Amino acid sequence: MALFPLQANFRGDFVVLLIPVDDGDDMTAVAEKVAQHSIGLRVVDTGAPKRVYYNGKELPPRMTVKESGIPPMDWIEVAYVG
Amino acid sequence: MPKLQRRDYYDTARDMNWAFSYVNEDEVFPEELSKSFGIKGDEWWGWDEPYKLTYREYVHNQAGKDDGIYSIRSTIARSNLYDNLDVGWKSAIKAHYGAIPVPEYFASIGEARMARFGRAAAWRNMATFGTLDECRHGQAQIYFPYCLLGKDPQFDWAHKAMHTNEWGVIAARSLFDDMFTANDAVSTAIQLTFTFETGFTNLQFLGMASDALHVGDIEFGALISSIQTDEARHSQQGEPTLRIMIQNGKKAEAQKLVDQMFWRSWKLFALLTGISMDYYTPLESRTMSFKEFMQDWICRQFMDQFKDLGMDLPWYWEKHFLPELDWVHHAYHLGVWFWRPTVWWNPDAGVSAAERDWLEQKYPGWNARFGKLWDVIADNVRAGRIGKTYPATLPIVCNCCHIPICSPSVGQAPRITSHNGRKLSFCCEVCEWVWKSQPERYDTHLSVVDRFLAGQIQPPNLEGALQYMGITPEVAGNDAEGYAWNRMASLAAE
Ligand SMILES: [Fe+2]
Ligand SMILES: [Fe+2]
Repeated sequence: MALFPLQANFRGDFVVLLIPVDDGDDMTAVAEKVAQHSIGLRVVDTGAPKRVYYNGKELPPRMTVKESGIPPMDWIEVAYVG
Repeated sequence: MPKLQRRDYYDTARDMNWAFSYVNEDEVFPEELSKSFGIKGDEWWGWDEPYKLTYREYVHNQAGKDDGIYSIRSTIARSNLYDNLDVGWKSAIKAHYGAIPVPEYFASIGEARMARFGRAAAWRNMATFGTLDECRHGQAQIYFPYCLLGKDPQFDWAHKAMHTNEWGVIAARSLFDDMFTANDAVSTAIQLTFTFETGFTNLQFLGMASDALHVGDIEFGALISSIQTDEARHSQQGEPTLRIMIQNGKKAEAQKLVDQMFWRSWKLFALLTGISMDYYTPLESRTMSFKEFMQDWICRQFMDQFKDLGMDLPWYWEKHFLPELDWVHHAYHLGVWFWRPTVWWNPDAGVSAAERDWLEQKYPGWNARFGKLWDVIADNVRAGRIGKTYPATLPIVCNCCHIPICSPSVGQAPRITSHNGRKLSFCCEVCEWVWKSQPERYDTHLSVVDRFLAGQIQPPNLEGALQYMGITPEVAGNDAEGYAWNRMASLAAE
């Protein structure tokens, strides 16, 4: 378990944010950590489930940051499903 | 005794150029400070400018200008003019005062470098006046806000800002250091006096002066107009320098200097002037949108002049620059407002119902891209959830322009690359190009995010960041209208 900085934004928001996650977090947790800085602040809360996208591909919700091989400070996007 | 007409003596007296015999040219004009681009000594001697002032005239004119603005200042000091100004306008001038006065002194350093290392006597003469001009601009623009300190502590940042690591200041200082504090004489003439002054500030000061008069800020209007008369003169150093470069086959080098600095200037201009014009200036005083201003003044007037000299539009004009006119300052504005405790002025949201109509009319699609985000903010304000209108993390900033990386549309990635193992993030292809065109110049400079990750900002949270940036509680920005824009909107909805 180690602190792991990422660049991220929630789809539809206007700015890229610095998001500290943990390398043991799974993508569900990562999506929440990104969403909390946008959803209900600037992006409408629709209640829909969220997914993490990296290099254009959706990552499985149970995959951890460590397993994903994303390097620190790479960019991910989080978006509502559908 | 009959006096000689000025035209009979001026050029002879001014053009004290000579070929060196006891020293070599490189000792007199070291490349690092002067930079010849390979153009030989006497090729520069044809450098000329249209003003042809003498020192006596210069002093006389400048004294008159100072008399004018300082007497207006002392007259207005006895009135309540400032108290009656629109709150958004006050924010616009506070932003200006933090970003500009101390860099005027930096510009004085750049002018002094040209006054010593410029390659023609005529140029060094003109740059001597420029050095004095920039001192005057620094002095006046620190003194005027100093007089307003009793009314508002945020004016303290007219002097303080440039001595801090506030994020917008890092962006501004990085630009100004690149352009004039740490630049060679020839590049300074092309980048500061031609690109930045002729292209941006000379026109911007005209625009700001007329806006100031429109909102009733006679003091600021007089100050800015007076400064502009100096700019109009000393910015003339750019064109003759550019001409000599073109005549000597260095068009490509000159073009690169312009392309680099036009882009860097544009980003800061969008941040300061873009927001001020389209959000802070009261609606009834807006004569044109920022985009219209850019199209009219920068795209048409400046670029026409540029093309007349045989130069080309910057390579990124169609693909990057023109598209940014539609969106980039809207994103910056939203960011500045949301991160408002990190600036030294009170951002005016500028999104009342009437203002939103204006924005949608001037920028079709504004509601769909930005209005939607403001809707969520407005709901939170109305419901009293003010905590949700504040940030809890840092934005990523661009390693070139040092402004947060924003996106024109959904799903657009920042440009992440590396240089000698260092990871870099850029907001766009052009910022990446500028940085990579001279990595040795930029590589040791850390962005505010780099500093945060390196542990230089402690404690590593918003409080630590504010402390690092020098922001104190009495200065930290808040909504300029105390959220009144939103009460009006909700009343209108009911
Ligand atoms: Fe100036
Ligand atoms: Fe940038």
